[in-house]
Amino acid sequence: MTVSPDLFAALPEPECLHPALWRAHQLGREQQQPAVASGFAELDAELPGGGWPARALTELLLPHPGVGELRLLAPALAAVQGGGRSVLLFEPPARPQAGTLAALGLDLGHLLLVQGRAAAGGAAAAPLPAADLLWALEQALKCGHAGALLAWLPPRLPPEALRRLQLAAQAHDGPAFVLRAQAALARPSAAPLRLRLAAAGPDELALHLVKRRGPPLAQPLRLALPPALSAPARERALRLAAEQAAAALPPALKTRPRAASASS
Amino acid sequence: MLWFAVHLPWLSLEAFAAALDEAQRRQPLALLAEHEVQAVNAAAAAAGVRPGLQRATALALRPDLQFGQADERRDAQALQAVVHTALAFTPAVALDGHSVLLEVASCLRYFGGADALLARLRRALQPLGHRVRIAAAPTALGAALLARWRDDLHQGPQRDDLKALQRLLDEVPVWLLGPGRKHWEALQGMGLQRLSDLLTLPRAGLARRFGETLLDELDRARGTRPDPRPWLSAPERFGARLELAQRAEQAEPLLHAAALLLQQLVAWARARQSRVLAFELRMLHESRHRAGAGVPPATALRVELAEASVDAAHLQLLLRERLARVELPAPTLELRIDCHELRRQAAPNAELFPNRQSEQAGLQRLLERLRARLGDDRVLALQAVADHRPEKASVLVRAAAAPAPSLSSSSAPSLSSSPPPAAAPQGPLPHPAWLLPEPQPLAEREALPLFQGRLLQLLSGPERIETGWWDGDVATRDYFIAQAADGALVWVFRQRLPVRDPAQPLWYLHGWFG
Repeated sequence: MTVSPDLFAALPEPECLHPALWRAHQLGREQQQPAVASGFAELDAELPGGGWPARALTELLLPHPGVGELRLLAPALAAVQGGGRSVLLFEPPARPQAGTLAALGLDLGHLLLVQGRAAAGGAAAAPLPAADLLWALEQALKCGHAGALLAWLPPRLPPEALRRLQLAAQAHDGPAFVLRAQAALARPSAAPLRLRLAAAGPDELALHLVKRRGPPLAQPLRLALPPALSAPARERALRLAAEQAAAALPPALKTRPRAASASS
Repeated sequence: MLWFAVHLPWLSLEAFAAALDEAQRRQPLALLAEHEVQAVNAAAAAAGVRPGLQRATALALRPDLQFGQADERRDAQALQAVVHTALAFTPAVALDGHSVLLEVASCLRYFGGADALLARLRRALQPLGHRVRIAAAPTALGAALLARWRDDLHQGPQRDDLKALQRLLDEVPVWLLGPGRKHWEALQGMGLQRLSDLLTLPRAGLARRFGETLLDELDRARGTRPDPRPWLSAPERFGARLELAQRAEQAEPLLHAAALLLQQLVAWARARQSRVLAFELRMLHESRHRAGAGVPPATALRVELAEASVDAAHLQLLLRERLARVELPAPTLELRIDCHELRRQAAPNAELFPNRQSEQAGLQRLLERLRARLGDDRVLALQAVADHRPEKASVLVRAAAAPAPSLSSSSAPSLSSSPPPAAAPQGPLPHPAWLLPEPQPLAEREALPLFQGRLLQLLSGPERIETGWWDGDVATRDYFIAQAADGALVWVFRQRLPVRDPAQPLWYLHGWFG
């Protein structure tokens, strides 16, 4: 018995059958919840669902804290807070600055920190044990009343810990970011979206999409962050970088920049 | 008038067995009062142990019989919890032996009828773990008699009709009347079995023989004599204790016992139409251990709630986290829960769909749980302070109990609302988002700071900060934005005057532009 080609033509496309299906060359769609726009159009275009996913973990891998991760996430966090919901930071790597966060558009009244060290009195207590940190994070994810979560987790974690968090995240109606050191890149992770962040220059961030529901992305995305430098300072930085590239020498040894102490 | 009578036939036994675990409860148990069996459970009754037997006789019937001592205080406390549960429904509550009487005619409309109220009452009584018999009648004593007599009289014609009640009461055995029990044998000898038999006798003779109270009670039950009752009310302070069946050293058995007390606490709070703000659990240690090594007589654990609650499960959850962190210096034999801190406010509305308010409440609960396990100073909020020294410009304070938006306006020096978030992303960010807890000293080469083996390129600056001379923590620094080798921006400063020690480093790393 032969199957007529008309039959295939009559079949619906697989991606129309169910929202959980997508083809290898397409981006997956966010099923239950609209994603939270990241505030960067280039990034939204590459993220399944068009933004940071809700009800799922997003893993960000950093070479070290301070490559621009807060400036990357700030628009989405501000949007979450705009809905009257709170942002929770778990075990941040350093003391966040109130003035800067406010300048990034965050509302301090809706910002909470859960951390072991540097309590109110200034007495530096030990960081939270990993078990307590994971417990707290799981509780926050499960309760479903937090708006957005950012957690700085140790690079060494049993794989089932992340799986457990990913399961708990399904009750969490908002984005949940897990920030880890780059060393975790080689280890498998249950998070459906993984990104590697690296500084790409002054006020620029290179994003490698390590894992997403969709085709792999060969080129890293380069995003212009909310600037910390003024325009002249930025030009100077770019000029210096170009000089260094031209000289093709270790930057620190030969092309010493003049101390930019005159003005900014 | 419509009265509900809640009779607790096995109150003493249940109050005793509450401290036991599941397996022990299934063993034959008997309560003793002055060497005489007062109450038995089903397993003991199956072996033929009856109330009224001597201790030795009961032991002969069932050698592995477990004995407990009857304790009137324990019974009273259990009864109190039932009274409190009832007080949540109506202010007109009275006691009659082991029966709690509720006058509910005035609140029927509010609860949507007698049947709906009855269902709610049963549901509210369930967590206390007592088996109850409920009867309804137009008179208080009538309802009490019916509840003691039969299990199925919570509805029926006698509920609203006095004549029907009187007909029903005629059938009630005479020993159920309080005073009748004393003369039970004499009445039986005279062939008087039911209340109707009493009614046929001449009243004067009956009163002379058995006292005025018998007739008086009969009349009040039948509704032919008024029956005023003093109403009970919930006390200002709550205190309940529980003696454990065995010494507890672990958190788990303690928690099991404390759960009972928490149910009573919640019943009390509901009776006062309030919600619990804080309570104290005291674990009394065995006196044998107290003598040595400075063991305190009791370990107290105070649980404060960020938001008042009457949810026993939530209180238990908080207590579990707190108990898990407590090291008991000695085994515990007795628990006590005290509470006098209530908040009087309307219960929050339950919502079908999550709204902002229910979300806020859910978040508060989460924070409470986190605080209970991690400690009070681990859940923090960020506040801006008017100070030019970056390390003092933002402080971490304990997260407020009140809903978050009121946080920034609470303290005078706070400036957190002054930079309006709307006007944010225009100009360059002045300062980094991350500040190191301690400035990290950097080596210097060719008048430039060295970071991770490379010279830092200073891109912007200096921003001079010279302040703090008034509080002895003077800062004289020039801040620069610099670029690290991989392109990330860091915040460094050069220590200006006074540099006393030439060996002291000049450059410091103070922040990252996160």
